[in-house]
Amino acid sequence: MKVFLAALLFAAIVAVGVSILLNAIQQPSYVAFTTDGVRVGDPGHNLIGPG
Amino acid sequence: MPSSLSTLRASIPRALCAAMALLLVLAHPAAAQLSFKPTAESVHEDQLLNALKEGDKITGRISIPDAMAASLIQPAGRDWRDFHRSKLPIIGGIAIIGMLAVLAIFLMVRGRIRVHGGFSGAKILRFASFERFTHWVTASCFVVLALSGLNISFGRILILPLFGPEAFATMSGYAKLAHDYLAFPFMLGLVIMFLIWIKDNIPGKLDLQWLKQGGGILFKGQHPPAKRFNAGQKGIFWIVIIGGALMSVSGWFLLFPYLPANVTTLQFWTVIHAVIAMLFIAAMMAHIYIGSIGMEGAFDAMGTGEVDLNWAREHHSLWVEEEQAKGHAPSGGIPRAMPAE
Repeated sequence: MKVFLAALLFAAIVAVGVSILLNAIQQPSYVAFTTDGVRVGDPGHNLIGPG
Repeated sequence: MPSSLSTLRASIPRALCAAMALLLVLAHPAAAQLSFKPTAESVHEDQLLNALKEGDKITGRISIPDAMAASLIQPAGRDWRDFHRSKLPIIGGIAIIGMLAVLAIFLMVRGRIRVHGGFSGAKILRFASFERFTHWVTASCFVVLALSGLNISFGRILILPLFGPEAFATMSGYAKLAHDYLAFPFMLGLVIMFLIWIKDNIPGKLDLQWLKQGGGILFKGQHPPAKRFNAGQKGIFWIVIIGGALMSVSGWFLLFPYLPANVTTLQFWTVIHAVIAMLFIAAMMAHIYIGSIGMEGAFDAMGTGEVDLNWAREHHSLWVEEEQAKGHAPSGGIPRAMPAE
């Protein structure tokens, strides 16, 4: 039982850790798709904007 | 030639205006299109029509890094949509409901596989703590991944009518997050499983003999010899490793959809992910069955790590001999009663 519970806890910790890491490195599309040639500005509160 | 100087003076501004108009027309393409007909080289309608053939797509020029945005029309997308709306539910239904039916019939006809000589009371260590830990990390993630994945494929048809749209949407949102993030401990568990168990899962001649005797589970009283893992278990190992690897690779492209070069590649990986998932779930249902209710004494292997000596002798006789030779197992236990033939 202890091994089983430890396994569940480990899986949950890894999953939460990965979610924190991925959310830290993820960029919104209007930042990711901006290049030197194309500037996609902050779209405000439309569909692809923040929040 | 102008007839008088006054006519010449009047015609110069007109000529200048005409020249300026010509320059303006040449410099402004939109205006030029009004007065200039397209040449043969500028028309590619036959290419446009040919691009709508199967396997091809109409693309445009883009200036953003997302390469998939260049696709304008992709006729193969219709085939992909038809597959995952009609063929995939049939594949999934046959695999999963079919396996449920097979297991139910097997239980009714064959019954639970008992320890022929009864439990001896003596124990032998089958799986160490780390092995059981790895198994349960992978297995618990698999169960959540399977249920959340089936919700993505079938939830709207089967679950939404039961819970209503708001509850279903909330549940599916959390299920999607669980699916995305539990994929990582699942992949980690797969790698560790491969490393710790590969050496005991190499197929051999003994496995052919085991299979020829139906693994000893088709008929009562048959106990073909086997080492640590029999052919059935080796089959499950390779299904998990190969199926898990395919799920991991295809799932990686779904997690990071900007990685595939084009939308056709992304569609290919979604088909792989969905089809392999259905078959994988069906196979694991058989594994869960035999490891729990299907075979008496089997669950102890992953539960406590220790199995009954008589159980081990009946199902993994050669492994017991190896363990006894190493001094890892007791030599006692009640001898199995031989059935009257």
